[in-house]
Amino acid sequence: MMAVKGLLIDLPRCIGCRGCQVACKHEYKRQAEKTTFFGGPGYQNPADLSPGTWCLVTYNEVVISGRYEWVFGKRQCMHCQVPGCASACPVKALEKLDNGPVIYHRDKCIGCRYCMLACPFVVPRFEYETWNPYINKCTMCAHRLAVGEIPACAKACPTGAITFGDRDALIEEAQRRIATNPGGYIHHIYGLEEAGGTCVLHISSVPFEKLGYVLRVPRNPMVAHTEPAMKAIPMVMLGLASVLGVGYALRTRKQRNEGHVDAPTSDERSGR
Amino acid sequence: MIPTIRWRDFGLGTGLLMLVAAFGSILALYRFASGIGRVSNLNQGYPWGFWIGFDVLAGIALAAGGFVVAGLMHMFGGEKYRPLVRPTILTAFLGYLLFILALMVDLGRPWTIWHMIIYWHHESPMFEVGWCVMMYTTILFLEFLPVVFERYQMDRTYAVWRNVAPWIAVALLVLFAIALTHSAAWVIAIAAVLVGFELLVRFGVIYRDPRMPTMLLMAGIMFSVLHQSSLGSLFLIVPHKLNAIWYSPILPLFFFVSAVAAGVAMVIVESTLSAWYFGREIEVALLRDVGHVLCWALFGTLALRGLDIVLRGIGTELLVLTPQSVAFWIEVQAGLIIPLAILLTPDFADSARWLFWASLMVIVGLLINRLNVAVVGITSTYGETYYPHWMEIAITAGIVAAGVLAYIFVCRNFPVFTPAHSRPAET
Repeated sequence: MMAVKGLLIDLPRCIGCRGCQVACKHEYKRQAEKTTFFGGPGYQNPADLSPGTWCLVTYNEVVISGRYEWVFGKRQCMHCQVPGCASACPVKALEKLDNGPVIYHRDKCIGCRYCMLACPFVVPRFEYETWNPYINKCTMCAHRLAVGEIPACAKACPTGAITFGDRDALIEEAQRRIATNPGGYIHHIYGLEEAGGTCVLHISSVPFEKLGYVLRVPRNPMVAHTEPAMKAIPMVMLGLASVLGVGYALRTRKQRNEGHVDAPTSDERSGR
Repeated sequence: MIPTIRWRDFGLGTGLLMLVAAFGSILALYRFASGIGRVSNLNQGYPWGFWIGFDVLAGIALAAGGFVVAGLMHMFGGEKYRPLVRPTILTAFLGYLLFILALMVDLGRPWTIWHMIIYWHHESPMFEVGWCVMMYTTILFLEFLPVVFERYQMDRTYAVWRNVAPWIAVALLVLFAIALTHSAAWVIAIAAVLVGFELLVRFGVIYRDPRMPTMLLMAGIMFSVLHQSSLGSLFLIVPHKLNAIWYSPILPLFFFVSAVAAGVAMVIVESTLSAWYFGREIEVALLRDVGHVLCWALFGTLALRGLDIVLRGIGTELLVLTPQSVAFWIEVQAGLIIPLAILLTPDFADSARWLFWASLMVIVGLLINRLNVAVVGITSTYGETYYPHWMEIAITAGIVAAGVLAYIFVCRNFPVFTPAHSRPAET
């Protein structure tokens, strides 16, 4: 069994250089975006994830002891342990790999956008401006992991705000950092329980809602909400087939007994 | 005889419909040249909008009349509904074809839709929806075929159809069970019941209906039940985005019962309108009976919705003034409470005109309900907003207009209302 990999995002260590953002764009040859200064909150640029931006440093003005300060957040795919997008996709275009990443097979995708609805972190992005659109999202650089490299964003980060490693080890590390500096962190590892647990873990010095993180995320995997309905399908089929069949047989037994069994075989054969 | 298009049949209304349909097709072509973003306001926060709510969710629900009426007549012995069976099967068949057309516009890469046939994913409600569409459209096509056979007096083919169609239905049901369960035990159990029933029919142990193979109707009912409910299952995955007013674990059940009500209402509206258009008498006595069915369906929907609200304890949210609570009250008043009150008032329930208006309200209420679930109730996380673009509405209008035109064309040229030529089995 391969160890599940993940990323630990230590937000207080982030200096907002956007090196990860540039490295990601470079790795995947994504087009530059036309943006406006102050187009998003403060110096944040661009305003949101998009088909061309899979990794984004968010700039948040947070009041800390009476003063406005920059606090940075990071937006990217969380690589859920049981991903809602992958359970929603009708053609298995989204796949959870054993070593952690949730990847996208673009050749399978039919463009139904159900993954976008299902994702609790609002990550998958759709190419609305082309006749042949695909879904776009972070892949945790699965192709780099396959050859023993680490994700481009983690490689580029100059301050150690992004750490790549085994998920279990990263959880321990996050707990250690919070325990050794209880005043410097809030006591919440974002991604430990969200949507049943994710491979990307965030720790922060300010409450996550001040950084625009989605907090309305169920604690169980997204598939747990659809599973009961999907499990009921064979019961509905068997139940309906039996009830309708038996009901019909009982209702029409009189017609059968009266000898109304149709015998159009001669007509059928002659084709009349 | 070839169906003829007589130009003198075209009035102002037909001309307008053609204009709307043509305009919609041009916009649809524009969408395929330049992308969904150019013709719609769909965005990263609202990947689904008017098209899903109106064309898919409501469109399919309004086609439910096909299986309800056919089921009432053939399965439960409602012989009196016979004049309605063919028109409603036609409506359902056309409805499904139009829905597939609409889906082609909404899907990002519709030319890859066949991927659903080869890449199976039984966990996904969307996979179930896709399979139900394919299966039930095939069943509806088979159910509609007798009309074509009669029109061209293809008695030999008709006889072959009677023998083969049930086995096609069994095969489709078993294939569906394999794809959606991946469980040998379930598949064997379901296949045993279906094959057993059909064999008993063939050996004369169970009465063989000379008009329509019973297995075909059973398959139609089973796929319909699954399809209507699966559209509700789609939204089970968004407990974090769909407003608590609509999000309920029994959403699939709501979608099913409200579709039965809307499908029945559609039968009344369609019979009234087509009687008026083709200059026939309105069958008031018959529609009154359909009204009874509608009454029960509305009552069932309302009771379930009420019970759900009480049990989930969200009653107070309905009394706070938010866009969502207002949308809820409009939906429930227009689509459930007022029509139910009309149908429960004896003077109104006996009048064809009031039946028509009550049914129209049920349909409008259903449209609002589906749009509420798909758009109004959905909260976007990063502050995106959504309001349908005029081109979205124009494309949908074009598709609806094309459907009405197709309905008129088929009714004019095929024996939909009166079997023109008796079936081989009955002669």
